[in-house]
Amino acid sequence: MRKYLAIVRGTYMIGMIYRLGFLFTIAGNVIYLGVAYYLWKSIFKNSETLRGLTFDQTFLYVGLGSAIFILLKTYTDWFMNSEIRDGSIAMYLVKPVDIGTYFLATSFGSLLMNITIVSIPTILLLLFVFKVKFIIGIGLLLFPISLLIAFFISFFLDYFVGLVCFYSESVWGLSTTKDIIVTLLSGGLIPLQFFPTALQNILHWLPFQAIYHTPLTMITQPDQSVDVFLQMIFIQLVWAVLLFMATRLFYIQAIKTVRVAGG
Amino acid sequence: MRSLREYIRLYFMIEAQYIKGRMQYRSDFIISSVGMFFSSLATLGIFWVIFDTVPNLAGWSLMEMVFIYAFYMIAISPMQILFDHAWQLRYHVQQGTFLKYYFRPLNMMFYYMSEIFDLKGLTQLVTGIALLIYASIQLHIDWSLWRISLLFIALFSAALVQISIIVAASCAAFWVVNSYPVLGLAWKLREFSPYPMSIFDGAFRFTFTYVIPIGFVAFYPSQLFLRPQDVSSLVYFSPMIGVGLFAITYWIWTKGVNSYTGTGS
Repeated sequence: MRKYLAIVRGTYMIGMIYRLGFLFTIAGNVIYLGVAYYLWKSIFKNSETLRGLTFDQTFLYVGLGSAIFILLKTYTDWFMNSEIRDGSIAMYLVKPVDIGTYFLATSFGSLLMNITIVSIPTILLLLFVFKVKFIIGIGLLLFPISLLIAFFISFFLDYFVGLVCFYSESVWGLSTTKDIIVTLLSGGLIPLQFFPTALQNILHWLPFQAIYHTPLTMITQPDQSVDVFLQMIFIQLVWAVLLFMATRLFYIQAIKTVRVAGG
Repeated sequence: MRSLREYIRLYFMIEAQYIKGRMQYRSDFIISSVGMFFSSLATLGIFWVIFDTVPNLAGWSLMEMVFIYAFYMIAISPMQILFDHAWQLRYHVQQGTFLKYYFRPLNMMFYYMSEIFDLKGLTQLVTGIALLIYASIQLHIDWSLWRISLLFIALFSAALVQISIIVAASCAAFWVVNSYPVLGLAWKLREFSPYPMSIFDGAFRFTFTYVIPIGFVAFYPSQLFLRPQDVSSLVYFSPMIGVGLFAITYWIWTKGVNSYTGTGS
């Protein structure tokens, strides 16, 4: 455990070096927030509520969604691909670390770094520039737990695609397709409430909604009963465990195919 | 100085070799094309979901949005297909491999960009053309010879605007080495160009029209075909905007190339 904590800390520190980059990431997010603000303002032009959400709730969902998006995007599949390609993946095999846990630790390090540098400024912006009103409710307390499980689900999906790189050298297409499917079908871009009902019913049976929709619902509609939220967290946990087992089984298979020449 | 004809001939020769090389990785081509297909339709997916709730967006119907979106897909394709090497500029600058481009008797931007011909971008181009035909049939746009030539001019200019923004962003590598954050921002802005500029006001509309003119990649030029009666005179300047922006970008590139001294690695 201690060695992985050192990795978490290391990633956090490395990330802090590139501060100039964050200015652009924050600028990008501010522009995105502005575009989302005007877009939803014009959608809500003639109505107080749409699909059970007010403008404030929708904008909070979308705005916070963009902040969470930066947190939960681990890029593990992209890193693994480049390390499999140049052979440096072999270095992990000779070290006394577990590859999956190693990447989990680095992803967690960048999660912490992104909370400090991108998410907190975004939340402050939402509060003080866009003056979004939060509704007070039990959901707000459960939000951090839900976000943490969402991180695990997102990581396992990325790691799974990363493992596919052992078999295919074409990660661009795979990862891009995965990213689009995850962000669109998880509520990362549009609240799931706005999807056609038939599609919503299907989406609730997929793991993607557990990444963005669940934590965002806890923030935007926190005044529901505890049972509703506990059930949501339970579903998240089920997905996290299922995906964890899937990556373990896949890893045992995939690692057998590794052939590193030189490196 | 070589003539334009010679450059075109050279370009075809370089790309023919490049494509032959890429053909070794057929499955990569197929998977990447699928990825390109999905990623290029993402914003259209947002519009589709929005129009399930509201009948129009700032007065624009779903089919009009499809037209604007198709225009956007075609307009960004030349950037994707011909200028994709811009993304690697930061590696070449960092590793010092950029030095080799100084030693050929060719225009450096030409030589650098010709090294990659992004095959997967063709998927986007073809999807865009198909959507544009579909939307213009649905919208009963009648294509006279004049309008078709106008379409080509408008697309050419819009493509130049997009190319200029991305190449200029990648040039940041000459000064700060890691241009990824700048490029990432420019890339993100690209996604906003099919939104109706009329939903924005104040600083945002000003920025998207005059500062980083992404409005000219899709929304403004497509008005020429969707609602020719209420086009502002600004739109007729768009061909000049494309050429002008590219000239500025080329100037930035030349500045960068001349000031680059390597990173010592």
